[in-house]
Amino acid sequence: MKGLTTLILLCISTVSYATEQAEEIFKQLAPSLYQIRLIDIASGEKSSIGSGFQISSDGLIATNYHVISGYARHPNKYSIEIFDHQGNKAPLTLLSVDVINDLALVKRTTDSEMPFFKIAKSVPHKGEELYSLGNPHDLGMIVVPGTYNGLKKESFNDRIHFTGSVNSGMSGGPVVNKNSEVVGVNVATSGNQIGFLVPHDKLLNLYQRYKTSEPASIDAQMAQQLTDNQDKLISTLLNSEWQMRPLGEGLIPIVNIPFIRCWGESNADKADAIVSAVVANCALDENTYISNNFFTGSIEMEYRYMQARKLSDTKFYQIFERQLNQVRSGNKAGKDDVSEYQCQHDIITPLNLAITNKSVFCTRAYKDFPKLFDVLYVAISVDKGDQALLSHFTIAGVSQESALNFTEKFMESISWK
Amino acid sequence: MEIIIEEITRAHKLIARHKFLQDNINIGRGYDNDIIMADPHICAQHLSLNFNGEHWVLNDEDTINGSFYEDEFSKTKLAVHQHIVHSGQVFVIGKSLMRVIFPDHPVPESISFSPFENILNLTRHPIFLTLSILFFATITGWLFNLHSPVEATFTGLLVPAIGMTLMFTLWPAGVALVSHLTKHEARFRGQLGICFVFFNLMWVSDFIENLISFNSSSQSMYGMVASLLPIVLAFCLFWLNCHIGFQMTNKRRTVVAACMTLLLFGGSYLIQLSKKPEFSIRPAFNTTLMAPSYLFTSSNNVQDFIENSKALFTKAQEAAKEEK
Repeated sequence: MKGLTTLILLCISTVSYATEQAEEIFKQLAPSLYQIRLIDIASGEKSSIGSGFQISSDGLIATNYHVISGYARHPNKYSIEIFDHQGNKAPLTLLSVDVINDLALVKRTTDSEMPFFKIAKSVPHKGEELYSLGNPHDLGMIVVPGTYNGLKKESFNDRIHFTGSVNSGMSGGPVVNKNSEVVGVNVATSGNQIGFLVPHDKLLNLYQRYKTSEPASIDAQMAQQLTDNQDKLISTLLNSEWQMRPLGEGLIPIVNIPFIRCWGESNADKADAIVSAVVANCALDENTYISNNFFTGSIEMEYRYMQARKLSDTKFYQIFERQLNQVRSGNKAGKDDVSEYQCQHDIITPLNLAITNKSVFCTRAYKDFPKLFDVLYVAISVDKGDQALLSHFTIAGVSQESALNFTEKFMESISWK
Repeated sequence: MEIIIEEITRAHKLIARHKFLQDNINIGRGYDNDIIMADPHICAQHLSLNFNGEHWVLNDEDTINGSFYEDEFSKTKLAVHQHIVHSGQVFVIGKSLMRVIFPDHPVPESISFSPFENILNLTRHPIFLTLSILFFATITGWLFNLHSPVEATFTGLLVPAIGMTLMFTLWPAGVALVSHLTKHEARFRGQLGICFVFFNLMWVSDFIENLISFNSSSQSMYGMVASLLPIVLAFCLFWLNCHIGFQMTNKRRTVVAACMTLLLFGGSYLIQLSKKPEFSIRPAFNTTLMAPSYLFTSSNNVQDFIENSKALFTKAQEAAKEEK
């Protein structure tokens, strides 16, 4: 009984200590914590909000790129400003971005030295208590305690898995350890206490790169980052093992890499279906945010094996023709962002001579980021009467060379058993 | 002295022809005239034609609305007053037109039977016609089945096949009706026969177009050439519709057929163009797929395909620059 009482008292004292510590951290850091507002110049009202924190005494503030993306893309339409803990407003200028890690550096003018957040020098240990700060839903600055759970495994670009509530409006806010050092930046949530943070080393890199040389233009900086990231992604994919797996009577390549996740489906339970279908989808579980209607950096692969049950060859291929009509791009982009697709098609047999496909390749160019393209490939086998294999991929925001290298390897990999 | 007087329409189409042997001819609404007109704008005693031993002289009888003749040089209408008539001259009384012809007036050369006549006679033969319509209905039903996502029953296909056949019958019926209304022989069976032959040829042309499209790459021009086939067929159909249903010169028939073809294909192109969005996020490519038994072209290799794809990047980049 005595032991139980001691345990309860210990628990109560731990919770009470954590709350006290969170309060202490909040009090200490509040002067360097801001709400970032994107202001629509024409109406004078805020268009979106996020959080940000000061990282130098001369007014340098870190936030998420997606918080200020409206200004980065349309500087004539929007302005950005901060709103501090005392309710003061100040205009901001955009200095540098890391669009891949969703970070941005903005600056306010200061007359004197100001308090700022220190960036941690080491990575937190698993289970370490962290404190996420931000202004959720414009309700005011809050502090949310949570736990560090290491890096997300299936992520090409590192993201910290944080067990704690990261809500809309907290984006760009800092996540600190007990020593009030920044270990991450709030970036996304999957709900139910699952939050994702950008690791502090990404912010440190951006800050140091900015100190070394300021970018000539934000668009050019973004274009370079997108190209480098996608080239890195494609070369990682090309240098990884492509395991050939059966799909019906076909053989399809599955890239053996954790951040490409695959899912499957079939209609084996439908006894009356006129066509047997088996589908496998593999995709990168992340993409790069450019603006509300423009995402890039994604890669998707789809394989579909179909076999006619009680159909003539002509009708079977007619059904497949309809599937070909449903092919779409894998990422969201609009008229202001990309050109229309340019396509070509041909009857192709790869070097292994194991299949003959009708192959279609399409590409569209980015308007603001030269030498970056979205590509789309789809092929349907046309050498077996009652069976067909569809292979398809889309890659968003890729250079011509990377796109063609990937296409070549993909086309040579598909075959019948 | 013999004289021929023709009642003609405003388009100079013949309504009635009268031949007289006497030297004096009276025209008017009165029942004592040689030619009794029904036009209420014509007077009872309107016009007289008298042979003076050398010429036929036209004289208006002081009528309310007057009489006029068409001057072939000035192309104007002049009032009739003791006017010496020439063969082929057209005169206007009230709202009616008449043409005077002398017996020695030159006659155009006889037209020989068209080489199409035998084919046209064959297409209107009841057995051929029935077979042609049945073939059309069968192909229509088969296409409905092909485009249906599930296996269709025979009775399920019967209704759309018959409906579509009846809908396509409207065209020859319409042409025959116009022929009849324009004082030509309707020749409905002839129109029906030739139309269904061409409708069936259109199916064949569709198949050829698909076959070529499936077997050719985007670099090939065959697809473009194949798409001209339905235009040629439509022109031929319209030309034959005019040949069967209307009396007109070859030149006029060709112009009418060309205009109708232009209207049909130009119109559908304009409709497509008006429906085309300013910007499409969907890739547009050749989706034609056919069973492997229809594949007769040799395959290309991956390397060449990749090489051809390079040009697309340049095109896309140029488009992006232009649209920016």
